[in-house]
Amino acid sequence: MSDFARDQVAIAGYAHSTVLRHADRSLGALTLETTRTAIADAGLEVADIDGFVTSALFPTAGDHAVEDGVSTVTSDWLASHLGADPAYVSGFQGMGQIPGIVAMAVNAITSGAAKHVLIHRALHNPQGRYHGSSRRTIRGPQQWTAPQGFFGPVSAIGLTYNEYLQRYGASREAMAAVVVEARKNGARLPWSVWKDKPITAEDYLAAPMISDPIGRLDCDLPVDGVAAFVLTSAERARDLPRAPVYISGYASSAPPRHRLPLHWPLDDVMASGRHVVERLWVRSGVSLDNIDLPQIYDGFSPWAYIWMEVLGLCPVGEAHRFVQDGRIDSDRPDGLPVLSGGGALGNGRMHGIPQMLECYLQVSGRAGDRQRDGIDIALACASSPHMGGAVVYRKEPG
Amino acid sequence: LTNVQSDATSGRPLPEPDERSAPYWAAAADHVLTVARCSRCQMFTVPVDEVCSQCLSSDPDFRFVPVIGAGTIRSWTVVRQSFLPGFDVPFVLVDVELADAPDVRLIGRLLDGPDVPLRLGDQVEVVFEDLTPEISVPAFTLASPEARQP
Repeated sequence: MSDFARDQVAIAGYAHSTVLRHADRSLGALTLETTRTAIADAGLEVADIDGFVTSALFPTAGDHAVEDGVSTVTSDWLASHLGADPAYVSGFQGMGQIPGIVAMAVNAITSGAAKHVLIHRALHNPQGRYHGSSRRTIRGPQQWTAPQGFFGPVSAIGLTYNEYLQRYGASREAMAAVVVEARKNGARLPWSVWKDKPITAEDYLAAPMISDPIGRLDCDLPVDGVAAFVLTSAERARDLPRAPVYISGYASSAPPRHRLPLHWPLDDVMASGRHVVERLWVRSGVSLDNIDLPQIYDGFSPWAYIWMEVLGLCPVGEAHRFVQDGRIDSDRPDGLPVLSGGGALGNGRMHGIPQMLECYLQVSGRAGDRQRDGIDIALACASSPHMGGAVVYRKEPG
Repeated sequence: LTNVQSDATSGRPLPEPDERSAPYWAAAADHVLTVARCSRCQMFTVPVDEVCSQCLSSDPDFRFVPVIGAGTIRSWTVVRQSFLPGFDVPFVLVDVELADAPDVRLIGRLLDGPDVPLRLGDQVEVVFEDLTPEISVPAFTLASPEARQP
């Protein structure tokens, strides 16, 4: 696919807010501060930013209001409140937010619609239960599921995960290896909501169950947090102060097949995931053997197994065994560092940001004490394999 | 109808039938499970949509066709924290592939309770929970032992 814009766009800088259970100021204010920092990090000024892209999704099933600048931050809100004069403002709709917004930014830059595109993701934790609803009347698509008691993503992933456990004879205990690894790495991140709070397998198994086999610690924690990246052309990036990290390719999951709302049968997920990974290799011109750092998405812990299997890091049905005995311990020289950035379970509900950020930090050499050697090509997964996608980043153009 | 439980008693959320779903909920009130069937290709679609997901007809003229309501458990989850009002926890949700409509999967409560051992492939049959005189919601129970071997 020689017509794809491989390595023609690069990340020139970033910023990441502290991630908190509840921030002491509005999401809008946090977003302004974080994006100003990101623009300065890239060696630019607000006036240089002529493109804005985000996904403003506020993924609650509950009764919370969607209010720009409060519970969500759109690119329109941000451009206006930064005092920018952008030529290109857009937003991605869908679950695969990071591959979605990276794609839009790459397309805007390579088409000439914008020179410097600010992408951001602002996530909010409202007061009250995140997915709680007091609805007494159900209209629209949820009338096929909510009156039956099926509501919200936790029961949804409970069904998918149990299908996996039953089909492959896996135990709930096996997942402790994933969650403990994510929390170990998240505990080392100064911005993480779980800073200095690693857990043990016993802690994991003692946490309350929500929708068997999903317990509380299989779910990422809703948080207030903001991340921003500045993207520009490869040529311009090389004249900016930070080492460019090139975007080699992205792939977004095809729309999943028609099912009940939030119904994610395992076979649907796997089929869609295989498709998205095949397209990613074609787009990026690399294969799994070239990936120095795969970062898997783990917003619900079972996605970690499923991403490992669709990527080919282990055979289908084997992830629950593969993750045991330190084989995904990022501190071991022979460990597969799939959660070195802490993932969603180790950072808080920042959607695909932790995976993207870890790729950026490690490939650019900006990971500080956590810097790993020999990371030239990295892969970040986002959301589930059937609703999300993945992006490949690299240090040198291919 | 037996076991009628008013909305005021259960506190569970009620569906609001609309132009498209009204025949489905009317049949359910009579304890008949129906599935939308495309008048063009005769394939079943859950939930009913604007377009047939099989033949892609934009004029599928979906009809809600009665089905026996027998099916096979493809997964289950025990809900221990409900995010909606009116549900006593724990309860079991099952993901059921319908015998009458292969590859069509419904999700509903399994009324046998959370302590009944389950296996993939167990057979279930539809039952209805009467929430109001007008609204009955499909759920499932395990099929009789002789009917349970797939």
